[in-house]
Amino acid sequence: MKKQVVILVTKQFFKKAFSNKGFLVLLAVFLVVLAYVTVDSWKAFEAHHHVVEHHQESSRKSWEDSPDKHPHRMAHFGTFAFRLQHPLRIFDSGIESYTGNSVFLEAHKQNTANFSEASLSTGLVRFGDLNIAMLLQLILPLIIFFIGYSSVTSEKENRTLKIIYIQGANMKEVLLGKSLGLFLVSSLFFLPAFLSLWSISFLESTSLNDAIVLRIILLTITYILFFLILCCITVIISAKSKNSNKALLSLLGIWLLFFIIIPKTAQVVGNYMYPNLSKIEFRAAIEEEIAKQGDSHNPNDPHFNAIRDSILKANNVTDVKDLPFNYSGFLMSKGEEQSGTIYSKQHKKLIETYKKQNSITNALVFLNPYLAIKNTSMSLSGVDFDTYVSFLLQTEKYRYEQSQYMNNLQMKFISNKASGSEGKVHVVKKEHWKALPKFTYQYISVSETIQNKLVAILTLCIWLLVTLTVMVQFSNRFKII
Amino acid sequence: MYALVIKQFFRSKTVLLAFGILLVLGVLSISTGKQFLSQKQKAVVKTIEQQEKHLKTQVDLHQDDLGLLLYYLKFSYINKIDPLAGVSIGQSDLNSHIQNVSILNLEGQKYDTDLVNPMRLQVGNLDLSFLIIFLFPLVIIALNFNILSEEIEKGTWKMITIQGNSSFQFLVIKLSIRIFFVSIVLAALFLLAKIILNIPFNLNFIYIITISYLYMLFWFAVCFFVILLRKSSSTNAIVLLASWLVLVVFLPVVVNNYITNTYSIEEAFTMTIKQRDEYHKKWDTNKIETVNKFYKHYPQFSKYKVKEDGFSWLWYYAMQQMGDDESKQEREAMYNKIKSREKLSAKIAQFFPPLQVQLSMNTIANTSLTHQVKFLNATTKFHEDLRLQFYPKIFENKKTNTINWKEYTPEFFIAKNNFTFLNKLFPMVLITLILIVVGVFTNSKYFK
Repeated sequence: MKKQVVILVTKQFFKKAFSNKGFLVLLAVFLVVLAYVTVDSWKAFEAHHHVVEHHQESSRKSWEDSPDKHPHRMAHFGTFAFRLQHPLRIFDSGIESYTGNSVFLEAHKQNTANFSEASLSTGLVRFGDLNIAMLLQLILPLIIFFIGYSSVTSEKENRTLKIIYIQGANMKEVLLGKSLGLFLVSSLFFLPAFLSLWSISFLESTSLNDAIVLRIILLTITYILFFLILCCITVIISAKSKNSNKALLSLLGIWLLFFIIIPKTAQVVGNYMYPNLSKIEFRAAIEEEIAKQGDSHNPNDPHFNAIRDSILKANNVTDVKDLPFNYSGFLMSKGEEQSGTIYSKQHKKLIETYKKQNSITNALVFLNPYLAIKNTSMSLSGVDFDTYVSFLLQTEKYRYEQSQYMNNLQMKFISNKASGSEGKVHVVKKEHWKALPKFTYQYISVSETIQNKLVAILTLCIWLLVTLTVMVQFSNRFKII
Repeated sequence: MYALVIKQFFRSKTVLLAFGILLVLGVLSISTGKQFLSQKQKAVVKTIEQQEKHLKTQVDLHQDDLGLLLYYLKFSYINKIDPLAGVSIGQSDLNSHIQNVSILNLEGQKYDTDLVNPMRLQVGNLDLSFLIIFLFPLVIIALNFNILSEEIEKGTWKMITIQGNSSFQFLVIKLSIRIFFVSIVLAALFLLAKIILNIPFNLNFIYIITISYLYMLFWFAVCFFVILLRKSSSTNAIVLLASWLVLVVFLPVVVNNYITNTYSIEEAFTMTIKQRDEYHKKWDTNKIETVNKFYKHYPQFSKYKVKEDGFSWLWYYAMQQMGDDESKQEREAMYNKIKSREKLSAKIAQFFPPLQVQLSMNTIANTSLTHQVKFLNATTKFHEDLRLQFYPKIFENKKTNTINWKEYTPEFFIAKNNFTFLNKLFPMVLITLILIVVGVFTNSKYFK
């Protein structure tokens, strides 16, 4: 294979693209849209960030400003956890619109994450989200197909392919050159998009910066792999097709199948095969298990009575009122422990079911490079399913600790003879409210993300190798005449 | 003549492939709808069963204190899903269709979501409305983009023009055959949907069918217009696909993004904090003040008095009530924003058929955001009724066994949509007609 020939073909393709007026218009429109989307996403992110921080602070302020109270009142006063978005959400918004933004964390009750953006939007939200990743994942592939569909067929139709061949270029060089040329042309589209991606690393937020740079580098690499694959496929299809029309139709068919139909169908099938419990069934399952073990709210519950008796015996007293700590605080902490464990078990099961539903999509990553890039991009941008699950788990952990903190305060400081939580009699000093640490949400670490998505990234590498092999194999059999 | 054109039509592989894909995906989309409906139905059955069980256990546990019992008791209110929701799932998979509320502070309970995999929500539903809005236009484009240019490119068009008959008529025949067969596929899918989803044949169903056909005609008109520009096949293909991409993929996304950013609903957060704070503050403020506010809201209960010391249920429920009452301003601000979103969506959508069709179908199938807001408002009423029933009983310290708990089975919310067919669809029909008329007039010189 002669390198110069490949470079020559590449150059020729690149120059030829500019001779088409439509191309320049397309590029101009794309760049304008990209600029708009970048600025818009930045603004939206900052606005959302501001709103979340403002509300998180104001909610915390009323927590800290609460006067001396009975600790159980504070356990129900509770905390709001508002979900902060990852800065890379500016690039890819993933499932961000569909995940709840606020969870109320109180004693003995696990509330759902509410107020997702989509739940407050009109039906238009279901057409999709506008962000840089959407332009790169859905629109740019179509543009690549539009630019490249006639890369080989037009040479055939104009009978120039024979001339190129006679001049000493073999098909391998032509196809490779065309693919590289197409890739160069498409870089005019995606390099500016990368610029907007890289700009996110200049964000002021400090602690995340190193991680963001690593995430951005990985994103850049995976997207480049993705576009290389697409360019090779476009040229192969063009070379295989009889004429330009057929090439265009085949490429469009591929786009429709791989980018729209397969992803949707995979999720539908996943849901069909592994249906998850509805909320009512989920709650019923938890209640049933609690009833089986014993209900701490039931004064005659055998399970909790047994605990009481053993506590009485250990402390050598006959009445709970004589215990050295507040018994109802103790009882609630036992109840919380029990219901918390049962909830976590059921919740884990639910997440497992969700994961099974997603498993079809995840398995199809091997067959569909679009799914590979989509999943990798979401994970690296911190807007994927795992990130959301981690948020939910963190809120539940905080909720549990907060409740137990209050139960401990009650055991320690509230008289055992107290009956009821109203008034200024049985109270704990307000300093204790401040002493409870704030809820701080931690993003999943980069290394964990990479581990989760290693398969998808490797798949993209394998796809590139396979398409290159196919191209070489095919060029050996290609009939010029 | 027709027979020959039909024969020619079906000799193309593209045609068979396109119809094949439509039918396969059609079946898939209808079964998606079926699965959606049956999941929702299952939850309803479970809710009814669960409420009975729940009432029985709780009533047994707290026999001597009605106030305490009603602290625990939850009552279900169900948004009855229309079978048409299986055709256009809309926003109904995002929002819970079952409310499960106690007579405590409502605002803390009303917005609880159902358990749905967010990945599923993000990918979106493959329901029949998606197929009609998204894929039918592509098939129409694939069938039509070259009906004139192909003949010109192959040199057969000249033969047609010299054969005496009107060449325009020939074009119309070719087009009408395509319209006919696409209509049949669409009709078959609707028939299948009707049977599988048990859709009653009523006005709403007819509306959905009519909208779908009008939308289909809109795309035929777009194709007709582009064909008559008499460009080459590949130019036609690119132009039509670009318009599809802009109208169906790109513009909706931009429009939604614009609406979301124009009206960001941060009031939801403000409201939810406020309703908590207002209730909890009352534990530490003057008891009589709280109760007086309660009397002001419900003058009929001012005959029930509270002691200044000690706990009483009237005070407790008055505190809970204040969570709702004193977050009213924030709540209204939130609902106003939602309303603004809806208005702006509808306003922009009327100029873009795909958006208009999606929103109309959601409205008719009761799966729109408007419908969800209606359900939330109805929940407030349902909740208020419960309060009015139970408040006096609690304040009078009635025994729990004086109430017939068996009567409390889940209630259903059934709403009528106020869909105005003509208003909504007039712009789309107008655009269709303009495309056809302009297409014909600019070409009148070519046809005899």
